[in-house]
Amino acid sequence: MVVRFLKQMSAGERPLIYLNNAATSWPKPPGVMEAIAQSLSLPVFGSGRTTGTQGEDYITRARESLSALLGADTPENLVFTHNATDSLNILISGFLAGIKGECHVLTTALDHNSVLRPLYEYDQQHRICLDIIPFEGCSIRPEAAEAAIRPDTRLMVMTHGSNVLGSVQDIRAIGNILHEHGIYFIVDGAQTAGHIPVGLRDLPVDAFIFTGHKGLLGVPGTGGFFLRDPEAIAPVRFGGTGTDSFSLLHPRGMPERFEIGTHNYPGLAALAAGVEFIRATGMESIMEKAERQTAFLIRQLKEESNITIYNEHPDLPIIAFNIRGLQNDDVGFMLARGFNIIARTGLHCAPLVHRAIDGGEGCVRLSLSWNTTDEECRIAAEAIRRIAGNADSTVGQA
Amino acid sequence: MKEFLLDSPVTDGFFDYLRNFGKVESLPDVGEGFYKFEKPDCFSIKGFAGDTTVEVRFKKEVMDLTADFVYLLFSTYKGEGEKVDLSVLKRREEAVGERVRKRLYGA
Repeated sequence: MVVRFLKQMSAGERPLIYLNNAATSWPKPPGVMEAIAQSLSLPVFGSGRTTGTQGEDYITRARESLSALLGADTPENLVFTHNATDSLNILISGFLAGIKGECHVLTTALDHNSVLRPLYEYDQQHRICLDIIPFEGCSIRPEAAEAAIRPDTRLMVMTHGSNVLGSVQDIRAIGNILHEHGIYFIVDGAQTAGHIPVGLRDLPVDAFIFTGHKGLLGVPGTGGFFLRDPEAIAPVRFGGTGTDSFSLLHPRGMPERFEIGTHNYPGLAALAAGVEFIRATGMESIMEKAERQTAFLIRQLKEESNITIYNEHPDLPIIAFNIRGLQNDDVGFMLARGFNIIARTGLHCAPLVHRAIDGGEGCVRLSLSWNTTDEECRIAAEAIRRIAGNADSTVGQA
Repeated sequence: MKEFLLDSPVTDGFFDYLRNFGKVESLPDVGEGFYKFEKPDCFSIKGFAGDTTVEVRFKKEVMDLTADFVYLLFSTYKGEGEKVDLSVLKRREEAVGERVRKRLYGA
């Protein structure tokens, strides 16, 4: 037998079924791809950066559409960055820049490395003392958050929706408690924006993070945050803004305070189109379809006694499971190669969740989007059940 | 992780042959049959019978010591019914194993 050459993964002959939308959604609505092409068909339009007047102001369009979707009253307080992780770094660093000495910070065991790693870095540097609130069931109890508060607690950063368990957290109750104690509250909405209504107008949240390439149906390289009071976060990056150019100090107005350099115009054109698609489709329809398909998959998987589902009632279209007798990585391989079904396996950048639910071994995650069809769910369920039906449940994981 | 494209589809027989060098797990009724070969501390090979591709995962720390042996495993296998002289491979396996142990555990 001869090894001819090394190659990349191929799609195979079966139609591709993509169930990894919690990582990056795919396929994109046709309008998103058209918007990218359209944005590149003319020179970039950007106030202060060109004498040209042709082209569409995609940045303003994206800012206004997204503000409306998230229920924010002040579009200028919605800042664009590269992604959710970038946003978290800006906000955490910017908040701590305004704190003298060490302070106490809270996060949760449900959180992603995009939250955990920046906070652990600051903990290592003795800039903060970090406490992790464990979850019960699939949620952070507001009482647990309250019990973790110390006199020197200044900040809490937590996820709105778990990227592994699909559980949406009660950020209203937690935010109210934190605000009673004067604690700044940053919420990571990477998994919820575009999937459920957010309603920032009256949520007790100081900063809310989103990313463009998941539920908002845009492309990688776009994200950002909504900031209720810009003065609470010091800018940590400085440079050209196309405004007030004679000043050698970075402008402090919004959104220039946090938006530096040339924007990702094609990305923001895609984001605007993705958000417009969601608004036209309607959040209720999106949620109804997600709930129905998720419930179908869970019902099907529960038919196999050797499948462990880590949350049988997720609020988001995310299903985390393992098959007794098989490594999660092998299940992912079989789905991909044997059935052309793309899932995600491993730790999903959320090590503390896995430490709690599967001993740190990781699991298989299916995540749906508006573009997932009922037929794809049926085929995926059948494939997983077939694998489970053939597994030797007396050995291996979970 | 490396994806190997082979000149002919892998067979049940190929994984049977690999049993001489490590542990093979299989789910014969999934697709044409899923197989996973594991040589602890060295590498694993996963694939479906009937496919011309397999996935090989090397243990990074010793990949320079084991990669040639993986190629040898593939090139020595000539197909169903063809006899393979295992003695050469076994000697090579032992030599590679010793170097891997020394690298990983210092013994």
